[in-house]
Amino acid sequence: MPVVKDHSGRMRKFKNKGKDTDALRRQRAEVSIELRKAKKDEQILKRRSILFCLVDENLSLGEEKRNEIIQLSLEEIVEAVNGSNPELQLQATQATRRMLSRQKDPPINQIIELGIIPKLVEFLTCADNAPLQFEAAWALTNIASGTSDHTKAVVEGGAIPAFISLLSSPHMHISEQSVWALGNIAGDGPLYRDALINCNVIPPLLALVSPVTPVGFLRNITWTLSNLCRNKNPYPPLDAVKKMLPVFICLMEHEDKDIISDSCWAISYLTDGCNDRIQIVVDTGVLSRLVELVARPELIIMTPALRALGNVVTGTDEQTQAAIDAGILAVLPCLLQHAKPTIQKEAAWTLSNIAAGPCWQIQQLITSGLLPPLVELLDKGDFKAQKEAVWAVANFTTGGNVEQVVELVRSGVLKPLLNLLLAKDSKTILVILDTISNIFLAAEKVGEAERLCVLVEELDGLEKIEALQTHDNNMVYRAALNLIERYFSGEETPDLQPGTGQDGLYDFSVEKQDFNF
Amino acid sequence: QRVLLLVASDVDALCACKILQALFQCDHVQYTLVPVSGWQELETAFLEHKDQFKYFVLINCGANVDLLEILQPEEDTLFFVCDSHRPINVVNVYNDTQIKLLVKQDDDLDVPAYDDIFRDEEDEEEDSENESDGSEPSEKRRRFEEDVIERTMKRRQRREWEARRREILFDYEQYEYHGTSSAMVMFDLAWIMSKDLNDMLWWAIVGLTDQWVQDKITQMKYVTDIGILQRHVSRHNHRNEDEENSLSIDCMRIAFEYDLRLALYQHWSLYESLCNTSYTSASFKLWSVQGQKRLQEFLADMGLPLKQVKQKFNSMDMSLKENLREMIEESANKFGMKDLRVQTFSIHFGFKNKFSASDIVYATASLMENIEKEGPETTNFIKALDSLSRGNLDKLHLGLDLAKKQLRAIQQTVASCICTNLVISQGPFLYCSLMEGTPDVKLFSKPVSLCLLSKYLLKSFVCSTKNKRCKLLPLVMAAPMDVEQGTVIMVGIPPETESSDKKNFFGRAFEKAADSTNSRTLHNHFDMSIIELKTEDRSKFLDALISLLS
Repeated sequence: MPVVKDHSGRMRKFKNKGKDTDALRRQRAEVSIELRKAKKDEQILKRRSILFCLVDENLSLGEEKRNEIIQLSLEEIVEAVNGSNPELQLQATQATRRMLSRQKDPPINQIIELGIIPKLVEFLTCADNAPLQFEAAWALTNIASGTSDHTKAVVEGGAIPAFISLLSSPHMHISEQSVWALGNIAGDGPLYRDALINCNVIPPLLALVSPVTPVGFLRNITWTLSNLCRNKNPYPPLDAVKKMLPVFICLMEHEDKDIISDSCWAISYLTDGCNDRIQIVVDTGVLSRLVELVARPELIIMTPALRALGNVVTGTDEQTQAAIDAGILAVLPCLLQHAKPTIQKEAAWTLSNIAAGPCWQIQQLITSGLLPPLVELLDKGDFKAQKEAVWAVANFTTGGNVEQVVELVRSGVLKPLLNLLLAKDSKTILVILDTISNIFLAAEKVGEAERLCVLVEELDGLEKIEALQTHDNNMVYRAALNLIERYFSGEETPDLQPGTGQDGLYDFSVEKQDFNF
Repeated sequence: QRVLLLVASDVDALCACKILQALFQCDHVQYTLVPVSGWQELETAFLEHKDQFKYFVLINCGANVDLLEILQPEEDTLFFVCDSHRPINVVNVYNDTQIKLLVKQDDDLDVPAYDDIFRDEEDEEEDSENESDGSEPSEKRRRFEEDVIERTMKRRQRREWEARRREILFDYEQYEYHGTSSAMVMFDLAWIMSKDLNDMLWWAIVGLTDQWVQDKITQMKYVTDIGILQRHVSRHNHRNEDEENSLSIDCMRIAFEYDLRLALYQHWSLYESLCNTSYTSASFKLWSVQGQKRLQEFLADMGLPLKQVKQKFNSMDMSLKENLREMIEESANKFGMKDLRVQTFSIHFGFKNKFSASDIVYATASLMENIEKEGPETTNFIKALDSLSRGNLDKLHLGLDLAKKQLRAIQQTVASCICTNLVISQGPFLYCSLMEGTPDVKLFSKPVSLCLLSKYLLKSFVCSTKNKRCKLLPLVMAAPMDVEQGTVIMVGIPPETESSDKKNFFGRAFEKAADSTNSRTLHNHFDMSIIELKTEDRSKFLDALISLLS
């Protein structure tokens, strides 16, 4: 049964339950989003292309307008490109570029089939003919923006070294176009990413970053750099990462939000990995800047910053503590209550990993006032966020000490938690049952099991747990049965008379208003 | 492949469901039937069954919202929607992969043109770029050819287009109304497949009559559809007319009739029916002493002995019954009731049982909203559905009894509302609120009963008031729903005028009023003009509604 397997897999990733010390924390599982959504996102991503207006570019556009726009057939293009007349070569390359830049159905495949890519790459090296270089660079950029096969065609045409040397072209628009092309190649996957890094793309790329670089150009550079950090299996080479990190940290101070956003995405890629990789990022001291950025109102900044911080707290206790010291706990309440469900979910995921820490980190979580927003999210949040919140509570009850669990119950966690037993998702139900069992264990330690029983019953929880005994999932059924047999079998334990445990120290009673909605 | 059948709780839906069930039986299609009384139940039912089913049939629900948006189905899930609610959501209209609408071809839908409300994704490039949602940056990017002027032009065009789109959609979605009865649509389907039976035809008739009784369609539409069904009736029932001897005890025969517009009179006494039919009671103004007097004069004019009029119709003198329709009609004309006769159909089961189509509608609707709880929520639905089968006369008779109770309760409530001046003008609409503790108030916590009451009340009010402006106003009516939760059910109905197009703008207005005041409302009913509302939010909600419609 797949559900069972998933469950145990997840359990292994818990700090306190598993024995596998490498995988104590939950790594970010690639969420399988619904098909519909994925497709929609893809469309949006492909449409994100931006046109950056540069001075040089305007010049070239002006020139274009002076010359009549010449329509050429594919045959004419092949002939002209392979010919020896530089005028005709420019015309043909421009016509090619224009076809590849139109909004609808660019004929990438047909252009590749013409076999002119090697020729276009050759044009990149014509240092005495800047317009030809630019047109060829643009055309190749757009070919490389297609599928993996398209990118492959450009790389195999020998474009990588040519583009890298164009980075130091005296013409800024050509250099920018090369940055763009290299970004597309790097974005194809780890193979070409590392091929670029091995061709030493990073030093000339970093040299382009300066206080006087125009914003549009800088956006392109940042995006290309972030692509050089992207993808796992394998991770990008360590020394390359170390070269880029300080630049990202500078770029994160820029005022342009796209530049900040892409830098944060880069950091999030770099932290999406093993603890050693996380450590490199933590060592740069960037965490406090990330915490500042996660509090920004713009989604494009907040989202990657939160992702990066969330990745960091999947690491070791020390790495998590670094995030806490940077102030992450202060911003989480707002994020848990954010209007956007994805932010709620990411925030809850982050919180769940902090809650998987040792008691003293759990204590910081309590002191920072995170229990009320957590309970509220559990009660009213988006369902996916609720699931993460359930994990947070589960981790809390696994790692927290008795006093902390009592505090959790006092915050009113039981009602929304028990309500979620009505969810249709058996995994979530199992985690909740486990959590309830943890809470009972804590209650037993302070002799309050009886009162907890009453509380659960008052909240209609018993009814829901009983109903789960008829659940299709065998594990759910057994977990529900266990709870009922242990705590609700009906035989009054003689030693639990009213009066015991009324010293107020472990008072489970919740303030009335928490239960009136 | 098993099919999931989601059926709303109205008589037309039940009739369509009966026809479809019969068709499924013909073709050995397996199905599961789930009654749904509102959006919440529809969503829950979908979530519970989406893993086991790929095919969903929705009857009288689902057309007027974006189904894909609210249900988020998998890509291979298919919805067949047979729903008389209008306007149909534009996404449902233009989605041709997952949503299949069952609509009569000649129904005038007035759907906006595709290009006026949808644009190709590519054109939206700039927007998605501007209001970025924080998704991960793309891995590769193409550089487009466009210059700045072109872009600003495009943006301006786009803004204009969007403004126009909003206007078009506003016009399209402003009014709620009803299209062809779902039972009729389903019957058409059966007919096209040459699988139509006389039983199915009867259900189509009952479905249409439900729309008429509930005042959902215009008189014009009713007469047209009656005409269509009449042709089917003569096609199916001509043989029996010739060979009267062939009429056996278990056969059924449908006949077209000009019948009296008197509710349930063949199963009641003529007197009771005259008193409890909205048309006659409003015309006589029976809530007043003069009204009662007018009724006596009317009976005297007909020359019927009171004793005969007050006893069960079945037991009335045969000699009196023979010319009864003509006699009543003649007197009615003198008393200003020109429309006492209506075109309708009746059904004979063997020799003994004769029912008019409206009898069935009243009976089935009453079974559906029976407030004497027994068993789970679906019991009423199942009983109502069963009462439509001809083998279940006992259930039908039970329904008739309940319907009489309901009509009496409505009539008494109308009388008390008018006599105690409970209908007040709020400016743009009339308003009437039933208090907790009013007799039969529990009955009116149910949507169909409350709607029926509202229509009868408005009719009576229009007859009773001398204020000409008030005669043209729509009515908003509220009744206690759940005392423990402190909620009321509220319904808005269009003005009661002869030329009424039966279009209702309260759905949108309720939504807006709730939004602007943060009132805790629940728009759970398939008719958007029926909502649930927290009692304590009622006054601010009404204030907003008044200023919105003024």
